[in-house]
Amino acid sequence: MTDEPSTDGDSSSDRDGIRARLAHLWTQLVAHARAVTRIARWEVSRSAGTVDRRTAVLGLVALVVAGGIAAGAAGGGVALDRDLYRVGIAADSPYYDAVEQSPTLDPRPISDANVELIVTERHVSVADTRTGDAAYGAFRDAVESYNERQMLAEENESAAFPVVVTLQYRERGALVPAGSRVDGGSGGAGTAGDSAGPSGTDGAGESDSPADTTTGDGSVGTGPSASDAAAADDGEVGAPPLGGAASLFGGDTSGSPANINPPFPFASLVLAFAFLVPMNFVIQAYGSSILNERINRRGELLLVAPVSPGDIVAGKTLPYLLGTVAITTVIAAAVGGGLVSIAAVVPVGLLFLSATFVGAMFARSFKELTFVTVTVSVFLTTYTFVPAIFTNVTPIALISPLTLVVRDLGGGSIPLGEFAFSVAPILLAAVVLFLLGTGVYREEDMFTQRSVPLKFLDALDSRISRPRSVASLSALSIPFVFIAELLAIAVLFILPIDVTVPLVLVAVAVVEEFAKSLHVYAAFEKGRFARTIRTSLVLGGLSGLGFFVGEKFTAIAQIAGLQSLTLGQTAFAPAGIGLADSAGVVPLVAVGLLLAPLVLHAVTASVTALGASRSKSAYALSLVGAIAIHLVYNLQVVSFLG
Amino acid sequence: MITVENLRKAYGDFPAVVGSDFAVESGEVFGIVGPNGAGKTTTLKMLAGLVEPTAGTASVLGFDPEDPEMRRKLGFLPEESPLYEDMTPRSYLRFFADLYDVPRDVADERTSRVLDRLDLEYRDRRIGDMSKGMKRKVAIARSLVNDPDLLIYDEPASGLDPLTTNVVLDFVQELRDEDKTVVFSAHNLFHVESICDRVVIMNRGEIIARGTVPEIRAKHGETTYRVYTTVSLPQTETETGPDGERHVAVVDDMAAVESLRETAEAAGGRVADIRTDEASLEDIFLRLAADAPTKSTVEGGRGRS
Repeated sequence: MTDEPSTDGDSSSDRDGIRARLAHLWTQLVAHARAVTRIARWEVSRSAGTVDRRTAVLGLVALVVAGGIAAGAAGGGVALDRDLYRVGIAADSPYYDAVEQSPTLDPRPISDANVELIVTERHVSVADTRTGDAAYGAFRDAVESYNERQMLAEENESAAFPVVVTLQYRERGALVPAGSRVDGGSGGAGTAGDSAGPSGTDGAGESDSPADTTTGDGSVGTGPSASDAAAADDGEVGAPPLGGAASLFGGDTSGSPANINPPFPFASLVLAFAFLVPMNFVIQAYGSSILNERINRRGELLLVAPVSPGDIVAGKTLPYLLGTVAITTVIAAAVGGGLVSIAAVVPVGLLFLSATFVGAMFARSFKELTFVTVTVSVFLTTYTFVPAIFTNVTPIALISPLTLVVRDLGGGSIPLGEFAFSVAPILLAAVVLFLLGTGVYREEDMFTQRSVPLKFLDALDSRISRPRSVASLSALSIPFVFIAELLAIAVLFILPIDVTVPLVLVAVAVVEEFAKSLHVYAAFEKGRFARTIRTSLVLGGLSGLGFFVGEKFTAIAQIAGLQSLTLGQTAFAPAGIGLADSAGVVPLVAVGLLLAPLVLHAVTASVTALGASRSKSAYALSLVGAIAIHLVYNLQVVSFLG
Repeated sequence: MITVENLRKAYGDFPAVVGSDFAVESGEVFGIVGPNGAGKTTTLKMLAGLVEPTAGTASVLGFDPEDPEMRRKLGFLPEESPLYEDMTPRSYLRFFADLYDVPRDVADERTSRVLDRLDLEYRDRRIGDMSKGMKRKVAIARSLVNDPDLLIYDEPASGLDPLTTNVVLDFVQELRDEDKTVVFSAHNLFHVESICDRVVIMNRGEIIARGTVPEIRAKHGETTYRVYTTVSLPQTETETGPDGERHVAVVDDMAAVESLRETAEAAGGRVADIRTDEASLEDIFLRLAADAPTKSTVEGGRGRS
């Protein structure tokens, strides 16, 4: 009886306690949001104040002109080569419409003497000059484009395209019989009277019902044949047939078998690249703004204001992030990208900003900052753009969010898992970089001329307050480890498999051992922990555990199908990823292999922690040892899995 | 107001501050003096929460120095005036008032009053176009925008012309009259002597003297007495001045003065005048600095495991 009121009282007081904590949390959140907003507003007004009106007007004009040209080019509305070639042609010629609709060609009466081409019903007379040859090429393109437009407009599809080919691209060598041509030269519409011949393809064509038109996997294209050029040399050549043709770029669903080329989403790729261009400008302004806080100790007074370094960094970054989102949205709207494109590109923008932020925190002068921003631009542009080239070729392409953009622009669907695989590492890496940079957003690092390695160690140490922080930091290193390993796979992808497998194994061992040990070394160097064997072993074990847990994140690689690649399996199988799918691995062994990485990481991290507790050279030596142990383990696992 | 116990700061192997202990009372002007590199700025930055101590504790206004709540009640003026040069004083001060949640009208009224007192007219001119003295005045106004209880000023008159220096020092004295607590560092000891209630003298990271200026003078300085007599005595020397010859003896204590008086009267004369010569803070500092031992090293790290 006496307990009941007490229980009610306890639960009521618990509720009050929770309510009070939530209210406090909310107050804190609002205070932080208010501080961030104020700093962001100030950043905008201050940055605007640094640009005088004349420069602002000139910049705006340049932006409008550039935007106009880009929009015009994207929409095909601007032709820099308009009316480049003069063509003598009768108004009743069947080719007249094709010439008239081509922006490059300028139709003139047959009687006009100043022309590069004269087109009659059956022949084309070409001026014996290089301009004449070029004009003939442009004429052929114009006719082919015209033909395609006509065919696509045809209601009876089977009449327009009597033969339908479905293409499936397979791994090279898998389907091509010995002695067959693999990369046969391009075909092309022949000279008058020629029938379009099939060209070599990368895959096998499989005819299907007319309803089965080629999909995004297949594409058709066109290219000039050698015979064309030879015929053009004669000065008089046959006119191209008015019949089916295809566009230059991949993605079309119909055309002549002669025009079949491997898929290369050139147009989408170029448009996807447009998303990256503005980021390179945004990071220049952002990097300068961050470094400005450090020059002459300008940012010192913000540090004694009642705001946290996180508030300051968030406030200074917010305008540039919002600017990136706005620019991305405008570009997406201009090029026909959807929400997927925006959602894929914004994390890339965030990574640009975070890498620039860390660089600006480490740089000691504007000269060094220039080096940083150029490095960030080149590296991240390469990292995101190059894999996207292989959008339709290999799952490795998904390491870049631009691949999602290319797919989005091509109208393809993007499963959530693939989206996460592509975007999550970038997003996490950006967040971790901001965390590291914010760790050194303090007087001692901002205003001193400490060397970059020392600042890097400071940044790592700033995130360590107790032993378990070591485990957290190891887990947080996973996005970088993942990106580095994917990059290794992507870079080594083109080499023979016998070479790449050992190289990938070495790369994995080096990257992972650095990731597990560098922050432990930083903590010892900063006197965070006592330099004893026991402490080293505890920290090593925790680092290994944190890394093991975080490593499970790389299971996302399975979603993208990276395990189907030999290199993907090489990189991720030693971590126990994808073993459930491995043929011939009994469940008990699979469980063992799943847990074995924990032992490996704990052992190697302990080895490096012992070295780190001694000295710099001992750490270097222990790192070599840990890499060797890791490499042997990786080789054993890969050999075991065959 | 401020309590500091065994405060230490090392940059790598270099010990910047080696175990400071002192307390600052509410409403006083407290001076930290010493030559360049003595550890004054590092000490002030540790109090302002800008620099993390390697060891020891500090309590400022009852808070840990890194507590944002403490910063709401603190006005900090660094040695340099690191202002945003593309802003005007008005926009600059408003921005900081915003950060301290000071309403716009209150901030405008407050900063306007301070700038009037500091005699700064150009409030809408770009800070980058201002002189060093003007920038210093803007920086001082910024330190007061939140009406703080405690002001930490690092070399507030450093690099200023004598006129501006006087304006700034007068202003610091006015702050004391408003019951503000001011902790103030300087290497110009005349400034400290003129406005500080209590002082610590630092050299090579260590406090080598502390107390009010008279206490320090009494403890570490030498007070001498110049005794002028109307007759020549064995202890006196003869000086020739505008009023003719005078007989003067320099003695160390009042007993010697009394002895001279008796001797002069016995010789048929008398003591005409007694003047006290007190050692300046600068003299004391120079002597203490010369006697101070070399800086000791800071032991160990934070030692958490």
